[in-house]
Amino acid sequence: MARRKVNGYAAIGFPTWAYVVFFFIVPLALVLWYSFGYKPDLFTAHANDILSFDRYAEALDATFVGTFWNTLRIGVIGTLLCLIIALPFAYWLAVKMNPKWRPLALALVLVPFWTNFLVRTLGWQIVLSPRGFLSDALQNLGIIHGRLDILYTQSAVQLGVVYNYLPLMILPLYVAIDRAGRPLREASADLGANRWKTLFTVTLPLAVPGIASGCLLVFIPLMGDYITASVLGGAQGNMIGQLVASQFNTAQNWALGSAMAVLLMVFTAAAVIVFGAAGLIIRSLVRRSRRVQLQGGAA
Amino acid sequence: MVERPDIRALVPRASAARLSRRAFLSGLVVIGGTSVLAACAKSTGFAPSALPDGRVEGKLNVYSWGDYDDPSNIRSFQKSGTSVQFDSFGSNEELIAKLGATRGTSGYDIIVPTGSYIPMMAKNGLLEPLDHRYLKNMGNIDPLYLDQSWDPGNKYTVCKDWGTTGFVYDTRAIKRDLLTWGDFLDAATTEASKNVALLEDPWEVACTFFAANGIDPNTTKKADLEAANEYLVNTLAPHVKAFNSVAVTSGIPEETFTLMQAFNGDVRQGLLATDKPDAWKFVYPTPTANLWMDNWAIARGAQNMDAAYQFIDYILKPEVSFREVDYIGYSTGIKDLAAMAKKHDFSYPELVFPDAEVIQRLTPAEVNSSAGELVAILNRMMAKAGS
Repeated sequence: MARRKVNGYAAIGFPTWAYVVFFFIVPLALVLWYSFGYKPDLFTAHANDILSFDRYAEALDATFVGTFWNTLRIGVIGTLLCLIIALPFAYWLAVKMNPKWRPLALALVLVPFWTNFLVRTLGWQIVLSPRGFLSDALQNLGIIHGRLDILYTQSAVQLGVVYNYLPLMILPLYVAIDRAGRPLREASADLGANRWKTLFTVTLPLAVPGIASGCLLVFIPLMGDYITASVLGGAQGNMIGQLVASQFNTAQNWALGSAMAVLLMVFTAAAVIVFGAAGLIIRSLVRRSRRVQLQGGAA
Repeated sequence: MVERPDIRALVPRASAARLSRRAFLSGLVVIGGTSVLAACAKSTGFAPSALPDGRVEGKLNVYSWGDYDDPSNIRSFQKSGTSVQFDSFGSNEELIAKLGATRGTSGYDIIVPTGSYIPMMAKNGLLEPLDHRYLKNMGNIDPLYLDQSWDPGNKYTVCKDWGTTGFVYDTRAIKRDLLTWGDFLDAATTEASKNVALLEDPWEVACTFFAANGIDPNTTKKADLEAANEYLVNTLAPHVKAFNSVAVTSGIPEETFTLMQAFNGDVRQGLLATDKPDAWKFVYPTPTANLWMDNWAIARGAQNMDAAYQFIDYILKPEVSFREVDYIGYSTGIKDLAAMAKKHDFSYPELVFPDAEVIQRLTPAEVNSSAGELVAILNRMMAKAGS
């Protein structure tokens, strides 16, 4: 009986595990496998009859490391900016807004997100161009003197990634804050906390899982993004995804490209672990400082 | 009008035959598995092409670059009763990957590869040799564009269109005459510093240095590559604002750069889009530059042979070809186009039809053993410019 039950679960889970196996494990294993190979001749992208770690040594040169730090900076600043923008917005959406209008506000967040990624990014080229309307308006208002000089700089990439990934931050934050619920906030007010105290001791701590998943959803795809950087970045805003893409597309060296992709994954995972650990430490420090001592009870 | 396309799937021909719609849906996983295996195993078999039999088929599948043919030409060709289905690819590598993976079952009849990739494609059996008897209009092509080094005797391909590389500069920022690649590099590191756009193309970027120093742009010598690396990464890169192959079309009207390496037809597009065309000057630099050519070819395994030959022959007619030039902004290599352009009041003809003297000095790019190093140089330049 028990065995049949297990098979039954496996059958029900078929779409899930088949998806994971064929669209995650197999491709990942192929990338890993290719990364131990080499490029045998001009017209062949990879060969695996001799296995080595040489591609990793080749990939880890100064170009890769320098570009990786550049990418990490864009990724960290981009994620923080998304958080700073999304947090008040999601709070307003979940708490302050008339529920009648909420679907409309969510649609306004989502509809641009459904637009083709490349088209959205190209749109910023027009907005940021030195002879574009934004440049003219800023000059007429006297905010800048001379033409707007942002396009093809790192600032343009920074702006582009924040714009492109913002919905991925807003949605989990909205869900988390919404889930904290009105009764808890009312209880907090009844117990004498003012609005700020409620925000910092009730709403935000309960939103921490949402903040964490929003940061992951923004940071990880952002680290591998190369479209935003190649459309808006120019020479200053070079990102590591472009290096990987150039090995697959232009150089036709799948072995080296795979090694770079694996290194990117490892380094991104390492960065996530470091930030995650830092977050846990901060949280435990905050908790310790706020620990509530019950009268007569043990701590 | 929307034609209903046949269902095409990248599967081995043996399983393609028994592939119903239901099987397609329920069998996705199985196909996923076998194609993974197929990618690991090295098979050599190729599905055979159909032979021309004089009966023109009712359909034709063309795999080309996006928006690269005049729709009015396609419409008038379809009046003969053959419907044409276009799919597009974004790079030669993508084209080759798809043809290589399907081994003759891609379903495409006509493909449009770039010249430098043709030796590799022919060597790997991706192309069907052309039978010139079915291409009566080949005589309309200017001999300058026949019999290229990468396809002697036009065994596999016919010129679709060609272009070359030069540079364009803002005469308000650079007040002297620039004529050579040496001048280009000099201006890039002085007046135009931080306002320079280079093509995002390893061969083209390296060519600026090789040409300026009298070195063959297709060099494979280690010393040449080292010298190029040293100059391009350490001297030129810090002055570059962007590596972007389409910078010029928006860069001229928006005045984002003062000096841009660019393809000739793209410069024309940029000039047509700006309200100050007189401020810009385009140069066909000496001593040499790339002559790239995109070509009509028939894919190995093509099933609509007669229609394919008929289409290529149709597009080689002078009046059809001129409409192509007008639409895509590049010369198709047909004789007397320049005279037709004059008659039709075609703007900036000098950007599409350079003088014979310019054409003579061009060097077709080759994909050779230095390709990997050129990519590495460009990546180092990008990292350096960003640091």
